[in-house]
Amino acid sequence: MAVRAERAPVVIEESLAAKIVRLTAKAPVHLALLFIGILWLVPTAGLFVTSLLDPSDQASGGWWNFAFQPSAWTLENYTKMFDNERIVDALIITAQVTLGATILPIIVAALAAYALAWIDFPGRDWIFLTVIALLLVPIQMALIPMFSLYNRFALFDTVPGLILFHSAFALPFAIFLLRNFFAGIPKDLMEAARIDGASEWRLFFRVVLPLGLPAIASLAIFQVLFVWNDLLIGLVMAQQNQPIAPAIASQLRQFGSNLDVLAPAAFFSAVIPLVIFAAFQRYFVQGLLAGSVK
Amino acid sequence: MSGTTFRPEFPREGGTRANPKTAAWRGLLLPLGFLAPAIFFLGVWVVYPTFATMVRSLYSDRGDRFVGLENYRRLFSDDIIFTAIKNNFLWVLFIPLGVTAVGLVFAVLTERVRWSVAFKIAVFIPLAVSLFAVGVIWRIMYQQDPERGVINAAIVAVQGVVSERGVISTAAPSTDDLEGTTQTGISLKEPVRTGEVALLGLTAIRAPEIPEGAQDARAPEPLQGGITGVVWRDFKPGGGTPGEVEAEEVGLGGVTVELREPGSNRAVERTTTEADGTFAFEEVADGEYTVAVARNTFAEPFEGFNWLGPSLITPAIMLSYIWVSAGFAMVIIAAGLAAIPRDTIEAARTDGATEFQIFRRITIPQLMPVLTVVFVTQIIACLKIFDLVLAIAPGSSRNDATLLAFEMWRRAFSGQNLFGLGSAISTFLLLLFIPFLIVNVRRFRAEAR
Amino acid sequence: MRKRGFFLLALLVALLAFAAGCGGGEEEGAGGDTAAATGGGGDTGGGEDVSGSINVLAVWTGAEGEAFQAVLDGFKEQYPNVNVSYQSAQDPATVLSTSVEGGNPPDVAALPSPGIMADFAGRGALKPIDFARSAIEENYAPVWLELGTVENELYGLFFKGANKSTVWYNVAAFENAGVEPPEDWETFLQNAETLKASGTPAYSIGGADGWTLTDLFENIYLRTAGPEKYDQLATHEIPWTDQSVKDALAEMAKVLGDAENVAGGTSGALQTDFPTSVTQVFADPPKAAQVIEGDFVGGVIGAETQAEPETGFNVYAFPNIGDGPEGAVVGGGDVIVMFKDNPAARALIQYLATPDAAAIWAERGGFSSPNKNLDAEVYPDELTRTTATALAEAEVFRFDLSDLQPAAFGSDAMFSLLQDFLRNPEDVDGIAQKLEDAAAKAYGG
Repeated sequence: MAVRAERAPVVIEESLAAKIVRLTAKAPVHLALLFIGILWLVPTAGLFVTSLLDPSDQASGGWWNFAFQPSAWTLENYTKMFDNERIVDALIITAQVTLGATILPIIVAALAAYALAWIDFPGRDWIFLTVIALLLVPIQMALIPMFSLYNRFALFDTVPGLILFHSAFALPFAIFLLRNFFAGIPKDLMEAARIDGASEWRLFFRVVLPLGLPAIASLAIFQVLFVWNDLLIGLVMAQQNQPIAPAIASQLRQFGSNLDVLAPAAFFSAVIPLVIFAAFQRYFVQGLLAGSVK
Repeated sequence: MSGTTFRPEFPREGGTRANPKTAAWRGLLLPLGFLAPAIFFLGVWVVYPTFATMVRSLYSDRGDRFVGLENYRRLFSDDIIFTAIKNNFLWVLFIPLGVTAVGLVFAVLTERVRWSVAFKIAVFIPLAVSLFAVGVIWRIMYQQDPERGVINAAIVAVQGVVSERGVISTAAPSTDDLEGTTQTGISLKEPVRTGEVALLGLTAIRAPEIPEGAQDARAPEPLQGGITGVVWRDFKPGGGTPGEVEAEEVGLGGVTVELREPGSNRAVERTTTEADGTFAFEEVADGEYTVAVARNTFAEPFEGFNWLGPSLITPAIMLSYIWVSAGFAMVIIAAGLAAIPRDTIEAARTDGATEFQIFRRITIPQLMPVLTVVFVTQIIACLKIFDLVLAIAPGSSRNDATLLAFEMWRRAFSGQNLFGLGSAISTFLLLLFIPFLIVNVRRFRAEAR
Repeated sequence: MRKRGFFLLALLVALLAFAAGCGGGEEEGAGGDTAAATGGGGDTGGGEDVSGSINVLAVWTGAEGEAFQAVLDGFKEQYPNVNVSYQSAQDPATVLSTSVEGGNPPDVAALPSPGIMADFAGRGALKPIDFARSAIEENYAPVWLELGTVENELYGLFFKGANKSTVWYNVAAFENAGVEPPEDWETFLQNAETLKASGTPAYSIGGADGWTLTDLFENIYLRTAGPEKYDQLATHEIPWTDQSVKDALAEMAKVLGDAENVAGGTSGALQTDFPTSVTQVFADPPKAAQVIEGDFVGGVIGAETQAEPETGFNVYAFPNIGDGPEGAVVGGGDVIVMFKDNPAARALIQYLATPDAAAIWAERGGFSSPNKNLDAEVYPDELTRTTATALAEAEVFRFDLSDLQPAAFGSDAMFSLLQDFLRNPEDVDGIAQKLEDAAAKAYGG
């Protein structure tokens, strides 16, 4: 179906002067990126340093004063966090919920997005409009009706219950994103495949999905992030089996600045999604190579 | 088939057309099959609660009485909610544009650089950190006190490089004989004649800021033809007697004292005090002079900004939000960039188009669907912001920083239990957006034709 | 095509099954199953007759959470067949709102204020605890019984108290300035002047957390207007525009308006949250000499500073003003309420009313009990003993006024309005009027 046009690689010989010109032309870009990148890291660096300080140092303010004083650093906040059995259990639960709540909505959304992008049927645009409108519904308002529903169907305080909740709320954005992506696929491609006699399912699996991989990858990243860090749903819909964010929240003291609990937790929680992001980054490039059609 | 212009389209044709009759039948069954799971989830978890909320908004806070539009009346007559609506407009005005633009710039820039992954990770980290933690760290950064907030600390450090001032940060006259502040310098009200002794007593001086090697203060002897005096910390435990140099009170050395023409700020002569705080102007022309402790003795009051105060709090929260969301925009736009076929761009390049032209004529149009996603998502995100307001705005600035989603949470969930009002705010939020959305979608459809 | 459809469906089902399988192991422990209890009605004794499984929700975590767990363990010893599971939440009000609306609240919970208790009682969510009446009458001063009553029904039992009429200070700062803890308001204000001259501002105000300002107001008001007027104001029998309120606000302005004497100045104070307002008093150098807040300040000092008791920090009682009541205490407390009525829950509540239950936590520190039968020797240090005894034995005790208000006023509007007052302490009349408007709205609506 897909025709790959190949261009013979053209070898360009660069003189030294030309090379310098090329690099210096890029210098402003490099410098700008470097400067912005460092600036962007400052708050996170602050969080990291804060997580290494003991509470009285944290309270005395000015984490940058301690940034270069390794003697003041301590891993105590982290060890306290991991010693806590509740936290460790919560991490496992969070992993389960995140996995399920990432895979499920992607599948459901891809199917729906395909239909909204490439199948013509009456009312299609209105359905799409509704989906976008549903992006607006704040999770808070769904909490109360769903709370009673969950209790009735014994979904309260269960991992599947959390997975379903997160999946449902991921759908509006997922469908929106994927549909716009799918819609961008060249019509000729689709036409050609249809003429070849491919059925809708085939089109979906073999053509659209692979081309949509960059979008699916970014969707996956965001969903992992959102579900991993979610506090509200986990707090209300779970009690004994809480994911990580509510579990940490349950460790916060009533009075006191709680930085010694929050900072290491926040930092550690960020590591997992970051690792996933770094891994999926390559996927973008692969998606590019796989998707350069013509 | 190369060289076809690539345009995003709303596809009009679709589905196999084997038999018109079955096509009509399949025409609905097929999409239904694709859409069924989505419809199930959305229907139960999203649509049903939405309607439940709309209905709830017509009942009292406790849920026992039907009150019709009463909650909406409360909504519109509330000053704080009005501020929230106003703030939401500001956010929708600046943020989607800002975030999309920043994301676009980042996505494009990183495309050209090999080490872009490191940069991308740096920009992405804020997203990985939970929103509440983001709020906490920015709240700390925004502290007005330069010893706590890194932003003001940076500003003060820059200031410190530029200006040269003393160490003493606070001081006040100890008696009514003196007037002035650390900004103007502190001086004796009554002019001093030659042969007299000037007593300049200061209080409110922080113990750590007393100059090193300070000795006990003593009042000097008057000098014929000159003016002598002492600058000292007019305080001892218990207070002591203001205006008198007493034992245990310490002199302030290294302080610049000015002799001024009476009634003017112009210094005729300057000298520095000894370790015990005494100073002497010898051989002074006869007459009256104002004796003052020069303002450069005192430290510049820090001029950082009051980020967390009512006037700057909204921009402050906006900034932290951009910090978080730029990564989001960048990732999605980068994915969109990755999907653009290279050939078209290469072809345009060899045809002699400049980078800018390529950007404007090819890249942007092809990115439109993706940019739309980011833009619209950001508009919606603006209307939902709540964690950041909770974490960054101190209670005193809350009413100035508030947004609708925050108000909704505040009235319904923070213990006030005003569920009727909360539901009304939610419904209002929803209704607010829909006409805007319809307009936008219509516009894009028209463009596609 | 149909084949593909089934394939997809099967995939979905498999996924759900996988997810269910993963979560299946943790299916037990779903909240709130109240097993039928045998041996009903056992008040004291008969510990083995009572059985069941109950959930308790409260705000205590960390060290406090451990202490409360120890109290619950003490309960378990007396009632070995009851299974108690404790869940902490930083904001119990939010969690409880949702769970009550959703129909599945915990059996027993600790609420931070009687105002919130009244809200829930009004919604019919609480069960009366009349069975505990005699236990409460035996162990508490009458005022605590009244506080737990809403519209003539007894709903709440106070387990943990807080003495909010205390002032904590930096010992070195006081020595440097040569001041002593004051006996009365005049000396208090004079001390402030002396402290300022010594180079350390007198007041550390956590203005970002509005409740510190309401506590200050209440302490002043109780002393200037007297307990009768306090009660009237608490129930909105007199308006906030009453002259007594304005007088108290004017006194308060003597503290708030002394901007140079406040750490960080006015704008700084408005941004300072409560924990920071404590730690900055014990920083080196201190940003201020005193923080006017309740006995829980001791806990924050212990956790977040290096200051030692009596050498680094100390405490004195909020000074009397004019000829107000001696030794008056404004205090707070956590009130235990019951959402589901069953023998196990009843047993727990009765147990919490006893001095033994209080002693378990008291000896660990960070806890004041309003229980008058608790032996003061149980408290671990002198400072706690002083503040706790002042609470339990106060001749004039009043509950924190803002906690008695409907939440929309007492936990929200009152805070912001007093923050506005901090911003502009000259505007006594204006703020009084706005307080009255907000109160009227909250009471009327």
